[in-house]
Amino acid sequence: METNWRPKLGDKFIRRPRAKTHPLKRVLGAFGLFSAGYGNVGSSIYYALGLVALIALGATPVVLFIAGIFFIFTALSYAEGTAMIPEAGGSASFARRGFNDLFGSITGWALVFSYIVTIAISAYTAPAYLGYFWQPLTAPVAGTIAAMGIIFFLMCLNIIGVKQSSIFNTAFAILDVLTQILIILLAILFIFAPHPQIFSQNVIGNWPSAHNLILGIAIATLAYTGVETVSQLSEEARHPAITAPRALILMIAVVMILFTGISVAAFSTMTPTEMALEWARDPIAGIAYGLSVAIVPEEVAAGLSSSPAGIIVITAIFAGILKILPALVAILATTILIIATNAGLMGISRLTFSLGRFQLIPLAFSRVHHKFKTPYRAIIFFSLVALLLLIPGFFAPDTFIILGGLYVFGSLLAFSLAHASILRLRIRHPELSRPFKLRGNIKFKGCELPVTAILGLVFSSAIWLTVVMTQPYTRWVGFGWMLFGLIFYLTFRHRKRLPLIQAAREIKLPVD
Amino acid sequence: MAIKNILVPTNGGGADGEIIKLACSLARRSKAKVYAVYIIEVERSLSLDTQVDSETEKAEKILTQAEDTAAEADYDVETDLLQARDAGPAIVNEAVERGVDLIIMATTYKKPHGVPDLGKAVYYVLKEAPCRVLLYRDSVS
Repeated sequence: METNWRPKLGDKFIRRPRAKTHPLKRVLGAFGLFSAGYGNVGSSIYYALGLVALIALGATPVVLFIAGIFFIFTALSYAEGTAMIPEAGGSASFARRGFNDLFGSITGWALVFSYIVTIAISAYTAPAYLGYFWQPLTAPVAGTIAAMGIIFFLMCLNIIGVKQSSIFNTAFAILDVLTQILIILLAILFIFAPHPQIFSQNVIGNWPSAHNLILGIAIATLAYTGVETVSQLSEEARHPAITAPRALILMIAVVMILFTGISVAAFSTMTPTEMALEWARDPIAGIAYGLSVAIVPEEVAAGLSSSPAGIIVITAIFAGILKILPALVAILATTILIIATNAGLMGISRLTFSLGRFQLIPLAFSRVHHKFKTPYRAIIFFSLVALLLLIPGFFAPDTFIILGGLYVFGSLLAFSLAHASILRLRIRHPELSRPFKLRGNIKFKGCELPVTAILGLVFSSAIWLTVVMTQPYTRWVGFGWMLFGLIFYLTFRHRKRLPLIQAAREIKLPVD
Repeated sequence: MAIKNILVPTNGGGADGEIIKLACSLARRSKAKVYAVYIIEVERSLSLDTQVDSETEKAEKILTQAEDTAAEADYDVETDLLQARDAGPAIVNEAVERGVDLIIMATTYKKPHGVPDLGKAVYYVLKEAPCRVLLYRDSVS
């Protein structure tokens, strides 16, 4: 465009940097949100199944189902909260709005802890699956070193700020779902249906003690890691009031079906003791191996076809599937677990950014690097904590259980506060727009309180207390972390002369 | 007409949302870029780089609203916050710098002294802008 226009002598202009209160682009639809959420929740089955089997033995399918019902309550509360408050803080935002900044800080700090443990446990499990290709990786020392290497590598990537492709996430979510469906179908059609007594023997014959059953339910909540992800991504979602609840409901349906199917497949192919002793860190690899041993392609072919040509073709197809399956599971599980580790780091970045914005954590954590535009301090600090959590992996054989307990401590505390916040918001702010409102309400002093949130609060608090009372390591590390966070928050607020409990204003985040 | 860049000066008026939506729908056809800009007019008694917190806060809200409106229309908008003595020259300068093909501005029809007045900035842009200018007057209701 040719022009002779020039500014006059007095015409001067200054371009001001924008505060960017909404720095994230709204690009995700309901399926995009589901894929990201499923990437987290779906990955947890790759380690949670083995961990639950270590404790709940034959009752693993039952405790997974009970924890699944709790997951429905939690997902529903998150659906109402996210549609009402579409902010990256997730349950920390619900608590801040429902109660006050102190509760918001406690919830945020608990969430940060669960993210750190997610990073540690996902990275710790990935080398076990890679052991299919290189056996030494299944050894404790080599496996822990590899896990630390994964975290360090992803920490560097996240500091530089490499973008994670949404298409990549979606493709792996679809591939993962398809592989799990294949495993379930093979197990149900060719092992469970002809020999249902194997499954019932494995379940009934290995029933755990009452204590282990309750602890198993607590640990089984680990299988549903990642329900927070959809909430966190709501600031990047188109029409979050509609898409977030849809994504959460879709996730409930898919996860419940797959987890039930996988647990049936697990105990159709191996005993709980086998899983606990040999496949605790890589249970899906165990199922794939079990299927490749238990299914005889020639027998399947003979049952499906009577013509010799048909038998040859079907035998070749099944032999090929069963040969590829263990390798496919190893590659897929490793990739999904690395994605989950990365999602944990990205989740922490988003969360600290949100907590920093509302002055719930010291600003030092939320500083953004001048060149990479990433909250590098938070990424480095929390990655180092995740590396520290992995140190017992070198010498403690029960590291896996320890990490599971720590995750449950952080996430259940955050879930309990999320349920409480949803109830509190119904009482304190009934006027707020709720595009997704939970049904099944009971009237209390003129307020409508959702039954699912009440049950979710009771259930999650009870299980959290069980874990705190029965797991000394989890108790001390968990409370130590929370105390550290509380002191940090109070010191920061006191130094900044901000109210300790009441809300502080939203701020622009500093750039180094 | 092929449009590559559209500039939408916002002012916090009721028509801001409408002109952003209009810009997005026009831009979609040719995959053009949409720039929304808000200009803080700084009094001559103050230095041009003076940051007036209340004005900046207002500008941030308006531009964030513009981003949200564009997101609802499923389109991206790039936002900028400028400070100038007068909005008119700042809008034209922005249009020239960005190689804008179309400026979409909202206006109101007022007759403060019996004479129709569209506003100083609108007159300046109509007179000086080298590109097309589309004026949008919101419904009276």
